[in-house]
Amino acid sequence: MAIQISGITKQFGHYCALDAVDLEVRSGELLALLGPSGSGKTTLLRIMAGLEHADSGSLQLHGEEALGLSPRERQVGFVFQHYALFRHMTVFDNVAFGLKVRPRAQRFTRTEIKRRVMELLELVQLAHFADRYPAQLSGGQRQRVALARALAIEPKVLLLDEPFGALDAKVRKELRRWLRKLHDDIHITSVFVTHDQEEALELADRVVVMSQGRIEQVGSPAEVYDHPASAFVYEFLGQVNRFDCTVTDGVARTSNGALSIHTDGSIQGPAIAYVRPHDLGLSPSAGGPGRVSGIHVVGPDARIEVDLAGLSLEAEMDRERLSFLGLNPGDRCAVHIDRARVFPRR
Amino acid sequence: MPVKKGGQPPALAEGLWIRALLIAVSLGFLLLFLVLPLISVFVEALSRGVEAYWDALVEPDAVAAIQLTLIVAAIAVPANLLFGVAASWCIAKFDFRGKNLLITLIDLPFSVSPVISGLIYVLMFGAHGLFGPFLKSQGIQIIFAVPGLVLATIFVTFPFVARELIPLMQEQGSEEEEAALVLGASGWQTFWRVTLPNIKWGLLYGVLLCNARAMGEFGAVSVVSGHIRGETNTMPLHVEILYNEYNFVAAFSVASVLAMLALVTLVAKTVLEWRFGAELAAARH
Amino acid sequence: MVAASSTDAALPTAGGAVLSTFKKPSVIPGFGLTMGFTLTYLGLLVLLPLAALAVKAAGLGWSGFWSAVLTPRVLAAFEISFGLSLLAAAVNAVFGFIVAWVLVRYRFPGDRLVDALVDLPFALPTAVAGIALSALYAPNGWVGKLLMDWFGMKVAFTPLGIAIALTFIGLPFVVRTVQPILQDLPAEEEEAAASLGATRWQTFRNVVFPALFPALLTGFALAFARGVGEYGSVIFIAGNMPGVSEIVPLLIVIKLEQYDYAGAAAVATLMLMASFVLLLILNLLQAWMRSRHAR
Repeated sequence: MAIQISGITKQFGHYCALDAVDLEVRSGELLALLGPSGSGKTTLLRIMAGLEHADSGSLQLHGEEALGLSPRERQVGFVFQHYALFRHMTVFDNVAFGLKVRPRAQRFTRTEIKRRVMELLELVQLAHFADRYPAQLSGGQRQRVALARALAIEPKVLLLDEPFGALDAKVRKELRRWLRKLHDDIHITSVFVTHDQEEALELADRVVVMSQGRIEQVGSPAEVYDHPASAFVYEFLGQVNRFDCTVTDGVARTSNGALSIHTDGSIQGPAIAYVRPHDLGLSPSAGGPGRVSGIHVVGPDARIEVDLAGLSLEAEMDRERLSFLGLNPGDRCAVHIDRARVFPRR
Repeated sequence: MPVKKGGQPPALAEGLWIRALLIAVSLGFLLLFLVLPLISVFVEALSRGVEAYWDALVEPDAVAAIQLTLIVAAIAVPANLLFGVAASWCIAKFDFRGKNLLITLIDLPFSVSPVISGLIYVLMFGAHGLFGPFLKSQGIQIIFAVPGLVLATIFVTFPFVARELIPLMQEQGSEEEEAALVLGASGWQTFWRVTLPNIKWGLLYGVLLCNARAMGEFGAVSVVSGHIRGETNTMPLHVEILYNEYNFVAAFSVASVLAMLALVTLVAKTVLEWRFGAELAAARH
Repeated sequence: MVAASSTDAALPTAGGAVLSTFKKPSVIPGFGLTMGFTLTYLGLLVLLPLAALAVKAAGLGWSGFWSAVLTPRVLAAFEISFGLSLLAAAVNAVFGFIVAWVLVRYRFPGDRLVDALVDLPFALPTAVAGIALSALYAPNGWVGKLLMDWFGMKVAFTPLGIAIALTFIGLPFVVRTVQPILQDLPAEEEEAAASLGATRWQTFRNVVFPALFPALLTGFALAFARGVGEYGSVIFIAGNMPGVSEIVPLLIVIKLEQYDYAGAAAVATLMLMASFVLLLILNLLQAWMRSRHAR
């Protein structure tokens, strides 16, 4: 176990940022802390780095109690959301910084430092930019320098705070792939914070879904997506259709009777049902209960809005399927649900 | 502040005559109140020729005054530099109660008359002051001696560096320092290698202003000085003595040196603003 | 399950609890050192001497204080200092505004030079300014002679001379407070006014000037505050005659020279109080204006 977190609590005045959080980070894994703003994910990351103090709880880094240690002593690498590169130093000096400030006894020779820095710059593909200043680099390049700088001190753990948040969509996608590959090459235990569920699901070995200072679920991307533990997780991890219903004898029914879903019988009474747009099937039907109210074609996908006796639903399918079905706005259709989740309504 | 032409849409400019009039009025006003006094200093200084000018400057009392001015500045400016850096570090990097009060206190000398700035030290250390008898018994002389001059000068000039650095450091934030700490740097290493390079131009600017004021201060040092020729007269005080003795050429000669210092300060200030305006602009608001 | 935490973390001690309510715990080092140094410096240099002032003034007792201060000479000095500072600040408000306008909106050869020159009163030692203005406006000075010959006007050694010196000293304040606001004024509002049919003057009066007025007032207040306490630039050109052209700072110096420490302290205290009250009024006026014209 690379990182063991137990009972970490953090308050900012009256605001509770973290509420007795427990988490284990496995050695060598790439873990995502996923959640909306205010979920506490960044606070948790900063506590791991030593940039914030926890009010109570325990943090073990590789078996050693770390809460009393300064950031310096923890040997973690931290990559800031806005890079925090030293603006008056060249790329080379930025990456070399952690090596140059070591106490004399532990410091490498200048040649050795140079070798290590250039090796890292090669790794992040910025060897030709060694003499540039941060202001002369693009956002994606700066982020790679920040990463190289953090790796230079040979940290046992790498922490990244919304590493791609400040970049535009295309660069973000490229860097995601690149980070995944890097992690596969060097196998350093890494934790990154993001609010982008697509990013978390694509990149991480395991995903920690957080909300309001608490962990909602921990699992592999497939697990949290297919078997969400709570309504929050379900809603946060993708598009949803949701509607109120009542469960009697294992069957959830909407108030207008238009939809019924079989449940596993563990819930009874008022409930909320969730259906992913992809799991909503449509077929043309002259007397069908549903009516197509709108069709939006977005690239290769089609989104179809359906009005089902007062319920507004959205189905998603690829364009070919849509043309195969031959549905148009105003047509009547039948709706069937491939998969749904029902949670009790609080 | 380097002139940045503002957002007036060209199509809506005032008529040519109005513009010309306003420009003429401003230039006339500035000519009368700024340029004329400045020129008159040099004209009067040289009115009896270069020799008389030079004589006034090498005269022993004048030399002593110049030396004293330099010594006082050499003590006051570094002390205030240290203060400015310490104060802005603790104000910009930390959150604590009473921060606004502290900032107001730092601005205090600007709202106090220079005479009062000198008065308070006389009331503390003068013969009839709070510590007067004690100092006398110890044979320590503060008022009417160099230490008093230094204290009064430090008082009137200590805000300059702090006022430049505080907004600058607040704007720059603490992320780079946090990054340095995580990378293993100690507090001192972080300050020297990361913070200092980022604030160096603001620092220089503050030191420049601090120095100009320290060398030119009159009211405060006049009160604590005792006007002892050759001993407790800085250049501005020496100018006063010469002028009151109707020794106009000598007075203006020494004054011209101070005026040149002022011009050099203005030039350096302008150069710094041009080249590092963006960084310093943070300090403006 | 509370972990063993160091002094940095949960601060369990009583002293630590106090410290953590005073200051937000932070990872950046150096608070103790810098705060300690700052407070010591300020305490010794500023607070202690000011306390000495208060003590000395209070030593007179309530009635002693007022009888020391409410003499004709002192009151006349206050009238002169405050009144002429107000006048000079008003002159600077008008002309300083024009200068700021011209520097920001118009281009002319040497505008950069003029802009740099505006800071001269900040940089020039007050004694130098003082003797220069005095020589200039003396009856045989360049300007003084002109005024004497053409208008029969005497400037040096009269209250008018004081006003001129105070105008010099306060000049940069209005210009430098108005300039940045003027520079950042959005052009759209003026364009909107023009498109709605307003003349240039109407636009200026109704759109531009109200936006600049708060800054103008701030500059005015700063120039005024500076003028009230000014010493070096004024004493050479003033006649320094009690009751006519004697400013408050000079009065304080005279009392000190006569070893009337208590009297000097009393006048100084009154001066600080009066300035404080006036500036408070101006600040409140500004706050009121800001709330009315909240953008």
